[in-house]
Amino acid sequence: MNADLIVDAKGLSCPMPIVRAKKGIDSLQSGQVMQLEATDKGSVNDFQGWIKQTGNEMLKMEEDNGVYRFFVKKA
Amino acid sequence: MAVKEMTSKELHARIDAGDSVFILDVRNPNDFEDWKIEGKTLRQVNIPYFDFLEEDEAVYNQLPKETEIVVVCAKGGSAQMVAEQLDEKGYSTSVLEGGMLSWSQFYHPVTVSTGEDMKLIQLNRLAKGCLSYMVISGGEALVVDANRHIEEYMALAKRENVKIAHIIDTHLHADHISGGAALAQETGATYYLSSSEMQGSTALPYEPLEQHETLKIGSVNAKVLAVPTPGHTPGSTSVLIDDRFLLSGDTIFVGGLGRPDLGGKAREWAQSLYDTVFKTVAALSDDVLVLPTHFADIKEINENGYVGATLGAIRASNEVMRNEDREAFTEKVAGASGATPPNFEEIVGINRGEIQVTAEQATDLEIGPNRCAVHHS
Repeated sequence: MNADLIVDAKGLSCPMPIVRAKKGIDSLQSGQVMQLEATDKGSVNDFQGWIKQTGNEMLKMEEDNGVYRFFVKKA
Repeated sequence: MAVKEMTSKELHARIDAGDSVFILDVRNPNDFEDWKIEGKTLRQVNIPYFDFLEEDEAVYNQLPKETEIVVVCAKGGSAQMVAEQLDEKGYSTSVLEGGMLSWSQFYHPVTVSTGEDMKLIQLNRLAKGCLSYMVISGGEALVVDANRHIEEYMALAKRENVKIAHIIDTHLHADHISGGAALAQETGATYYLSSSEMQGSTALPYEPLEQHETLKIGSVNAKVLAVPTPGHTPGSTSVLIDDRFLLSGDTIFVGGLGRPDLGGKAREWAQSLYDTVFKTVAALSDDVLVLPTHFADIKEINENGYVGATLGAIRASNEVMRNEDREAFTEKVAGASGATPPNFEEIVGINRGEIQVTAEQATDLEIGPNRCAVHHS
């Protein structure tokens, strides 16, 4: 999947993955896609909560060897 | 102003003293609904930390300016961020150091009874609803249902100036990881558990509890009886002390009975529970103080600060303890048991010594509330 922006939040713990995600999404135009990578397990639930709250769209979520990858389309 | 750190112990002391405490829990609403800090005089709101990232002033409407706000999250990081943000806006804030993780590892000891021959202390692990006990007599201690943070028991023994000599698990726990075997190893005490609970596993050294009807603690003869009370599990055993205190494990709670369904044989185990209630326990007097291994509701903490109730009071408030109809009893206790404790199969394996986990994995497995009681009113 092609992303307009890749945000690396690997190795960061809560709340930093969401703080980075928020900054990333703010820099995009409506319809653009952000790819975020994180390793903090606790962020997975929080990320879904944040997406719901902000009205953006989660296109895809995958886990690969302890790395969680989220694709989010800006509303 | 600066953001202060508050330990779990300090937070508990405030709640316990009846101080007005305002908690802002910034975890995900799902996590909050599932498991949160409880207290009789607590005011609490849940606003997830990511809501504070938006520039929306509305999130502040629910927060008091006149009271200190204790900000809580899973491990402390998000709470720190939110607390700093609130601090800048002029709120008085502190952060629960280590978050719910630290809260889940906080134990509060309360003396239930103290006399010439014997002292009985209840250790309340509030976040998990787990209770354990130290019975002291003649310079020695018996620990019942130790949780995995064994340093709590060792520190208590040190403060009381006693040697831990005996450790009993009333049954194989399914909701939390036992500290029994580790505490025995660390202190040289003997670890007892009913052998039927181990189902042949020899991974852990233990002394079959069923071969020790009485235990002697120290030089003084506090009467300690191991009473088989099967039902929650086949090998569940209660500890009767001086004919006055029944450490009932997960057999009888202040609010009802232990669930018999965690072994996949609910109806069969319910029969054992019936016999336990209407034969074994029926023989005990109404004055016996029941001290269980769990509580389901903060309201079960009585005016003396511990969880416990006389058998008479429990019989009076639980219809299931009075109706001797075996069929109705079985339907009631085997029927409505609700969600199983998170990760219970793995926890059982660990408590049998068959699975080894790191401290971090143990923490993850134990997270969340307790679910061992049958919720029936």
